Amino acid sequence: MANGWQPDFEPLIDEHQAMVFSLALRMTGDYGLAEEIAQDVFLELDRNLRRMESPLHALLWLRRVTMSRSADALRRRRVRGIDQWVEIDETHGAQTEERPSPLGDRVERLLATLPEAQRAALVLRYQEDLAPEEIAAVLSAPVATVKSHLQRGLKLLRAKAAIHLKEYVRGA
Amino acid sequence: MDDCEREPGDCERELDDFAGELYSAMQRRPAPPGLKRKVMGRRAAAHRRQVRALWMERIAASLILAAAAGGAALWHHEAEQRRGEEAKQKVFTALRIADRALEQMNAQLAEHNRDSQ
Repeated sequence: MANGWQPDFEPLIDEHQAMVFSLALRMTGDYGLAEEIAQDVFLELDRNLRRMESPLHALLWLRRVTMSRSADALRRRRVRGIDQWVEIDETHGAQTEERPSPLGDRVERLLATLPEAQRAALVLRYQEDLAPEEIAAVLSAPVATVKSHLQRGLKLLRAKAAIHLKEYVRGA
Repeated sequence: MDDCEREPGDCERELDDFAGELYSAMQRRPAPPGLKRKVMGRRAAAHRRQVRALWMERIAASLILAAAAGGAALWHHEAEQRRGEEAKQKVFTALRIADRALEQMNAQLAEHNRDSQ
């Protein structure tokens, strides 16, 4: 560690577990899988702890690795032929406690029906409040592509919300 | 997919409103209650596995070293034995040669004695 920052593993879990879990959950749409991904990401962080140079570096690393591991998990699931849930009224074993709001819950279900790249861009934009340039860095994609995914994803999600979430969406 | 086919301004405003709603709908969710405990448990298990693997490596290395040392000692012992055997054979050969020379000398002496009588 060049700057002398001594990362402690447990406080890093405390600080970032909600972010890591939420990213994985919104990318995979599966509570159990998201928890498994979050565990794997933290264990990977533990193996790479010496490389972390600052709290910001750890945060950026966690975001990038979580998105990458979520994409891997989705790819593995596609290979095994398991589809993501797409019916918004269906319950898929997600634990019902600790849901922030009915809208949040249903938005998560709608998100899962979007193409993966658009979903990734939207999750980073609206959950993590990142600018397109920062999203591009996390996803290793060109900024123009990210902007396009954001625009298309937002329109698509809005269109789906207009059908399924009429009570929450103005103008629907 | 764009369902907004009214005034373009309305459409943008609605999208902006929707984006605003998304920020509040997509707050981070709390992690499952046991997440940290499970991570720490898996970390401890991985550490135990690592320690066990390290010990297994050490034991395997020790066994290999012991086997190599034993083999070397055995080889050294056999080489010594072989060298001893070779030396013994050389001594026997030398003795046989000496014996034959003495016999020849004896025969010559006996012949010489017979001639002188």
